[in-house]
Amino acid sequence: MEPIDIPVAGTKVQTSRVFERDPETVRDEDLREAIWELGREGEWIVQPVPEPYYLAPTKFGRQKKIPLEHTWHHKSCGQCGHIPGYSTSIFWLNRLLGFDYFDPRDQTSCTAWNYYASATSNQAAQAAVAMRNFSAAYETGYYPLIHCGTSFGHYKEVRHELVHDAKLRRQVRAIIEKLGRPFVMPEEIVHYSEWMYAVRKQLSERVQFDLSKITATVHPACHYYKLQSGDAIYDPEIYGGQRTAAVTAVVQELGAQVADYSTWYDCCGFGFRHILVQRDFTRSFATLRKIEVMKQEANPDVVLTHDTGCVTSLDKSQFAAQAHGRNVGVPVMSESQFAALAVGAHPFRVCQLHWHAVDYRPLLHKMGIDVERAWAEFEADVEKIKHGEMEYLTWEHVL
Amino acid sequence: MGKADTVMIVGAGPAGLEAARTVAELGKRAMLIETKDQLGGTPYASYASLTPDLQETEHAMEHMLDAVRNNPAVDVRLNTRVVKSEGNLGAFHVTLESADGAQSVEEVGAIVVATGFQHFDPGRETQMYGYYEYDDVITLVDAEKMFKEGKIVRPSTGLPPERVAFIQCVGSRDRQIGNKYCSKVCCGIASKQSIEIKRMLPNAKVFIFYIDMRMYGFWEDQIYWKAQEEYKVNYIRGIVTEIIRKGDKLLIKGEDTTMGRPMEVLMDLVILSVGMEPSKGTVEMSRIFQIPREDHGFLQVVGGPLDTVSTPVPGIFVAGAAAGPKDIEDSVSMGAAAAAKAVGILNRLTLEV
Ligand SMILES: Cc1cc2nc3c(=O)[nH]c(=O)nc-3n(C[C@H](O)[C@H](O)[C@H](O)COP(=O)(O)OP(=O)(O)OC[C@H]3O[C@@H](n4cnc5c(N)ncnc54)[C@H](O)[C@@H]3O)c2cc1C
Ligand code: SF4
Repeated sequence: MEPIDIPVAGTKVQTSRVFERDPETVRDEDLREAIWELGREGEWIVQPVPEPYYLAPTKFGRQKKIPLEHTWHHKSCGQCGHIPGYSTSIFWLNRLLGFDYFDPRDQTSCTAWNYYASATSNQAAQAAVAMRNFSAAYETGYYPLIHCGTSFGHYKEVRHELVHDAKLRRQVRAIIEKLGRPFVMPEEIVHYSEWMYAVRKQLSERVQFDLSKITATVHPACHYYKLQSGDAIYDPEIYGGQRTAAVTAVVQELGAQVADYSTWYDCCGFGFRHILVQRDFTRSFATLRKIEVMKQEANPDVVLTHDTGCVTSLDKSQFAAQAHGRNVGVPVMSESQFAALAVGAHPFRVCQLHWHAVDYRPLLHKMGIDVERAWAEFEADVEKIKHGEMEYLTWEHVL
Repeated sequence: MGKADTVMIVGAGPAGLEAARTVAELGKRAMLIETKDQLGGTPYASYASLTPDLQETEHAMEHMLDAVRNNPAVDVRLNTRVVKSEGNLGAFHVTLESADGAQSVEEVGAIVVATGFQHFDPGRETQMYGYYEYDDVITLVDAEKMFKEGKIVRPSTGLPPERVAFIQCVGSRDRQIGNKYCSKVCCGIASKQSIEIKRMLPNAKVFIFYIDMRMYGFWEDQIYWKAQEEYKVNYIRGIVTEIIRKGDKLLIKGEDTTMGRPMEVLMDLVILSVGMEPSKGTVEMSRIFQIPREDHGFLQVVGGPLDTVSTPVPGIFVAGAAAGPKDIEDSVSMGAAAAAKAVGILNRLTLEV
């Protein structure tokens, strides 16, 4: 069917009906009580969410504890490889807010990507990787904060399996014991974008630019809110509580406009199997179904999302469509990068936008950021490194 | 006659009404407890007409209501709820609370729980249907409300719709959501409503999107073929996944599984075929009377297909949709069966004494 050339009315709820959240009537279970119960029975150690924490509303009205500080950062293979400014921005924001966090250097991958493409081993091995990472966090005394939407969704599936399957629990426990590590389940599994949601007010107080002229479209990550959906953040104030509030709440709080578009619920195109075996499909889905639709319906200045795979496919697929002269060309980044820019982070030293494929400079100009000056500063850094005056950039250079 | 001669019936929907009537007919006393200020349960309160013959609900159910209203053997307590129960078979001490907070303890010999179901809330888990986002996405129940006023319109404009879509299995047959059962009646109800819409708006196009149509027994002939052949309702296999607004219309997206391709079609009005979940009262009664709930959340019965009304608690029976999705026929049959068993067990007690 040909797209219909009518602008989508916006993100506002168009009914006077009010949705009453009632955790009592929800058919899905709240695993957290079962996790504590298993802890009391000695099945595993439960790592409590450290104080101070933020209580965020979830889909059915249960409250989820989001740690503010003492977080252990479970990064993402894609993030560090393709979009290094993604995680740097998260750390930088932690530093700006004066939060204590831990940046581990010995974490393993979650292997979920291969799992979703039917390319990995077995259930116990999958679960053991998750539990190994949780034990690694526990050993440092910091609380796991999962950067990657895929790991996040996958770990929640693993948690569900481990709660319900005593045999699997025994198998995985044996593996973790062989590794000489404690068998630990965190009280909550928390995504970094939930942390962004929790600190959005603190960030908005530090915004340095007028963002009211900036229009963003949000792509929510499927693995964030479509898997084990019960504890994704849903805020009654955002989309009337009918769509996840992750990303959108932060962007609105920072003062930018969020526009709706008709393929909001669709995948970014990454699709796990597709990116591996049908890359052309990924490229065309990302551009024709997502970016072009956004451009036609909302004409955004930037696309914001909260998963590595999504940023990568939406950003890096556009070159192909651009080569065909299609209506694409919108910068894509994580909301952590966007928020960092808004509160004064350096676009290159911190947000590392030079790793991105679509031209982000018009956006930065519109935000009021002096791109040319920033680029000159960055080039000067590079020169210093070249000439041995500086080994590498440190946090002291960027805060 | 002692108090053991009274059967308490909780819930005055089709199942409870029939249970009360049967208890009285069998020569015992019935005490009928209802939280609302009205008899008749969900159908009486919410539906304009009933399957299969589209009779007006008030008219169709009036004789059921009369049978208990004017019956000296039935003690009707409206605006009343059960708050506590002690004792057991032959001597249950049940604490009732009226709307103004006054409490009384009643002694009864046996109990029939007929606290029914509630409609699945389409906003709770299937947000992609936009029930709480768009006025023109409504439920079967909202449609019945309009039928009661003799019309069907798009709530956003007040004008009659040209294209109407029903989406089946909203909240039912969905393991993801946790409702792993078919609600049994919604296929029939949607087909019934499609006939009513075509009667009111002969030029409207009506579509029913389904996984498979479950039109059991006579409904197949009475409603399903009639809708297709006489009223030209379009049945399309393939479930809709998402509804968004396009201009002043609703765009529904999904898959046509007969044609094997994705589809996107514009509609004026979308009706969600919401199914049944245990009512809050049913869940509450399970707690108060210590009746276990079966896997799907409804009250458990012990006899499988051979005894549809006995719970694991001696002297407590269940009837109607409190025990799982039921149509009115089944609910009424169960009401009578539960009453007969309750009276039977009280008779045996009297003999033993
Ligand atoms: C959209 C829809 C349309 C339907 N249309 C039809 C149709 O056309 N034909 C058909 O055969 N079936 C229809 N059904 C099914 C029909 O509604 C049920 O079969 C029937 O209502 C079940 O009767 P019940 O008495 O078990 O429960 P209900 O009708 O739900 O009655 C339960 C009663 O118990 C009361 N109650 C609840 N809790 C308490 C408490 N704690 N204390 C005291 N009282 C309490 C409630 O207020 C209510 O009055 C439809 C169902 C749906 C979902
Ligand atoms: S009766 Fe039809 S609509 Fe209702 S749950 Fe069963 S199959 Fe789905």
